[in-house]
Amino acid sequence: MMKRLIATLAVTTLALTAAARAEDKPAKVTVGYLNLVNAQLVTKHLGLLAKEMPGVDIKYVKIGGGGDMLRAIAGNDVDFGGLGNPPTAIGATRALPIKGILVINMLDYVESMVVRIDKNITSLKDFKGKTVAAPFGSTTHYLLLQALKDEGVDPASMKILDLAPSDIAAAWLRGDIDAAWFWEPNLGKTVKSGGKILVTSGEMAKRGYPTWDIGVVMNAFAEKYPSYVDKFIKAECDGIEFWLKNPEKTAEIIAEELSLPIEDAQRMMKGTGMVPCNEQLTEEYLGTSAKKGKFVDTLVSTADFLVKQERLPKLLPRADFEAFIQPAYLEKVIGR
Amino acid sequence: MSVEASHMTIPISADRTRRGSLRLRLPKVPRSVLLSTLTVAVLLAGWAIVTERGWANELFLPKPQAVWAAFVKTMTKGYQGATLLQHLGASLYRILTAFTLACLIGIPLGVIMGVSRNARALLNPLIEFYRPLPPLGLYTLLVMWLGIGESSKLSLLFLAGLPGIVISTIQAVTSVDPVYVRAAQSLGATRRHLLFHVYLPAAGPLILAGMRISLGFTYTVLVAAEIVAASAGIGWMIWDAAKFLLSDIVIMGLIVLGLTGVVLDLIMRGIAKLLMPWA
Repeated sequence: MMKRLIATLAVTTLALTAAARAEDKPAKVTVGYLNLVNAQLVTKHLGLLAKEMPGVDIKYVKIGGGGDMLRAIAGNDVDFGGLGNPPTAIGATRALPIKGILVINMLDYVESMVVRIDKNITSLKDFKGKTVAAPFGSTTHYLLLQALKDEGVDPASMKILDLAPSDIAAAWLRGDIDAAWFWEPNLGKTVKSGGKILVTSGEMAKRGYPTWDIGVVMNAFAEKYPSYVDKFIKAECDGIEFWLKNPEKTAEIIAEELSLPIEDAQRMMKGTGMVPCNEQLTEEYLGTSAKKGKFVDTLVSTADFLVKQERLPKLLPRADFEAFIQPAYLEKVIGR
Repeated sequence: MSVEASHMTIPISADRTRRGSLRLRLPKVPRSVLLSTLTVAVLLAGWAIVTERGWANELFLPKPQAVWAAFVKTMTKGYQGATLLQHLGASLYRILTAFTLACLIGIPLGVIMGVSRNARALLNPLIEFYRPLPPLGLYTLLVMWLGIGESSKLSLLFLAGLPGIVISTIQAVTSVDPVYVRAAQSLGATRRHLLFHVYLPAAGPLILAGMRISLGFTYTVLVAAEIVAASAGIGWMIWDAAKFLLSDIVIMGLIVLGLTGVVLDLIMRGIAKLLMPWA
């Protein structure tokens, strides 16, 4: 009798453990990636995520910009996503259930302000009465307003339009806009048809306004499948390493993924800063779990700016932004 | 009209009070109004309870008072450079301009197609093909052709409103009793007389019903029309606020849109009663 009871108990325990194990593996992982030039395209192209997660259905969703990504996150449509610093500041302030786990890229001249050559625009002061476009809520909208503020130019003296990057390119070709601050792969089209670069996001970074994109994970996913967050980071780090070590092959991949000529892909790659994963844990970027890095500063100043623009209701204490940055997963992957 | 309406209701309510002696004497408020008020009250109460109890994430469903505060703030201080009335004005300008154009072109087109079989045969393929096309599918093309300014927005709204009005006008004209037409003809009416004294008065009520539906269609594509490169308008405000997850503004904007739609429809009905008291 006793034996039988013990046997039953043992079997039940085994079954339960097995069930718990099975739950540790998600059936499907959805990665929302921004339409940008960075190593996420390499990871996707080489199927590195599938290698880390055998038997998991992996779905990639291309998302146009930060605003759409925020909606996708709020709607729980993705497990992993990517966000620029302004949408990140918005998401963190509005307590979206996400954590920042990885530097996707630093933005240099892959994001730039393009102006029409025939309009004789040599500085931001010449913008008065002109039509300027930027995707509202994105890194470039943030930089545009910061730059105008620094130069002492009133944004109300020009027409600032909210357009998606693809619409900017179309409006540019039609001649509807005089200037735009946005990013590749569409930026190149405007430069080729009568445009020149006035300011780059990299120059703004030197002036103290760095912009970047950060990889985020949904809290619920991270709690349920912590090891799969590690696997995600591992795959992305491999992609970054491939980018840094094989620039030629990477250019081919980017060219294929975005249907671009190879020279364009090479130029765009140079304008994007990829940070090796072990460097991401330094003061300059995420920092460590014990001491968070400069990304927190950027988030605080971005949020402060958005509050002044009345796009955010209030500025949260620094601790909330520190809690958002979670280098713990990356530390585990790197082995610190 | 109001005199007629009260004549209608008095005997009914008198009849009811006679039958049920215990019935509360509230004949001045029609039952339908009471029931409609009840629906609104239940919805509002449900909203208040769900948010007060914390059953809903405030990010997705803010409290009624937060939405009210957003309303007051947008009315007085404005949202991104324009007050609520300015946003509403920009949207109403777009809707009414596009709707007027749709009527000016749609009604004559419908009358011609209704009266003449040849015209119907000529134009039917176009209308039938274009009618089921989703207006948003056209928008990308409109932006490429007409640019990001007002003209592409007005065109989208216009194209959304046009088919409803053409088709209902055709139906209205073809359903005019042929006896009227023959009677007028035997009295020596010319085509012109027929059009203005027989077809239009007889088809008027149905045409107006079509106009109401068409205004509704125009209204439904407003947010979409204002997504591309607008900097004012209720639709743009909702779209912009959604980017920054300002759900109180989004919900406030939707309520304002809904109420404005109801008011526009009431105005249309009022015009119908004024113009066509025989309907």
